[in-house]
Amino acid sequence: MPSTTRNWIFRHTINARICHWIMVVSFFYLLYSGIMIFLHFPELYWGKVGFQGYPAIFRLEDWGISWERAEELGDRRWGRNYHYLFAWVFVINGMIYLIWNGWQKKFYQKMLPTREQLSIRNLKSEFARHIKLKAAKGESAASYNILQKVSYLFVLFALFPFMIISGFAQMPAFTAISPELIDFFGGRQTARTLHVICSLLLVVFVFVHLVEMIIAGAVNQLRSMFIGKYEIHSENAEESL
Amino acid sequence: MSTKKTLRNINKIKLTRRQLMSGSGALGGLLLTGCDTQFYKPPVIREGFMGVADVMTMASQRMLLSNQQLVQEHDASEITKNFPVWNQSNPDDEEYQRLRAGNYADWRLPISGLVNNPISLSLEDLKRMPRRTQTTMHICEQGWSAIAQWTGAPLMSVLETAGGVTTEAKYIMIDAYGGWYEGYDMFDAVHPQTILAYGMNGKDIPLGNGAPVRLRVERHCGYKQLKFIKSIHVVSSVEDFGRGTGGLNSDFGFHWYAGA
Repeated sequence: MPSTTRNWIFRHTINARICHWIMVVSFFYLLYSGIMIFLHFPELYWGKVGFQGYPAIFRLEDWGISWERAEELGDRRWGRNYHYLFAWVFVINGMIYLIWNGWQKKFYQKMLPTREQLSIRNLKSEFARHIKLKAAKGESAASYNILQKVSYLFVLFALFPFMIISGFAQMPAFTAISPELIDFFGGRQTARTLHVICSLLLVVFVFVHLVEMIIAGAVNQLRSMFIGKYEIHSENAEESL
Repeated sequence: MSTKKTLRNINKIKLTRRQLMSGSGALGGLLLTGCDTQFYKPPVIREGFMGVADVMTMASQRMLLSNQQLVQEHDASEITKNFPVWNQSNPDDEEYQRLRAGNYADWRLPISGLVNNPISLSLEDLKRMPRRTQTTMHICEQGWSAIAQWTGAPLMSVLETAGGVTTEAKYIMIDAYGGWYEGYDMFDAVHPQTILAYGMNGKDIPLGNGAPVRLRVERHCGYKQLKFIKSIHVVSSVEDFGRGTGGLNSDFGFHWYAGA
């Protein structure tokens, strides 16, 4: 009968842990304050202009929440104040994370996919494992798997920057600072709509991230995000000895 | 105001322009200090982290705007039909209703405070001044946007007509009928697209959009585009107005700086 031994590895550096939790708090506030702002104008449009009565591509009214009800639920004064406050927290935290980690070789080893991971065989088996909602076992659990790496890189270097620049494209000052940016999005309303869609993608990411954490062992995962140490369950006692 | 006095004022504009060119005029001096750090913060900084974030937002945008670049102007074909009427649409104010009944013939715009020659302008006076027409996007902080063409007198020309501002002048406080008021700093006052607009899409401004005169301060959200203008005060401190934060919107807890 195979016995299991407990091995500890050091998984998350102090900077990754600090930046992760600051990001969690600022993401929560950005999302919540964003919803508060949206509820005071619960329609989305495409192009340069859009207002009540203009053809909308999304209306909260169609989903059973009237304009008046949405206004009661929202609070754009609170929302705007906190959205900009935590946007700064988010951006500064993100820059600290990138600069602090950018120095370290470990960061690239941890985040970039290896050639082996990119093999068709590995991709197939990782997809299959994820669909079956099975946790990685043994040594393979020590590092990020390929789907994890790709999704983290996509969030860090595609979705986050997109949120920031689509936010800029909605600001009146940018009609003077960089009208090209607004034109790049195809107009102010398109930028607003894409900002909302992108935030929904981030919510999907957070949901999947939490589900994966539970599958892989919530206690172990959460503990590692606080103290850095991560427990590896090795199936073969002799090998690990 | 008689036509003669207006003509004298227009001559005064030329004089101030000359001063401006030589850099001796107060407004000329301000134009040259687009990077001045006094434009990096609102008149009253809020307490705590909220105030820190406000200053960071305003300072970073003002640095990027330090060349006083113009906002994007749109083609007349892009003008929005049915431009929304938002917020106050017809001031519940006896004096305003009287002026409106007289088609604003008796409307006067007093310019007082830290100006060298306080004056009062009629609608006709404003229309005789140098004018600017711009087709720009109005961005409401709530989320909507629409394009309209605005015609009006640049605020800088209006201040020059009042003899220019004195060296202590820091803020332009504008009162509106219906109890609204809002404050602006010199950085926005000298911008060429900051105009006292009396025309919209080639016609007089309709009632709901702020007749007879509204402000266009293009690099800000809608709540800074004050409608139904009543009077202009040039001041060195905002504390005597409302709750002393520099505008009714910031009295309510919104950002004083509305570029974001």
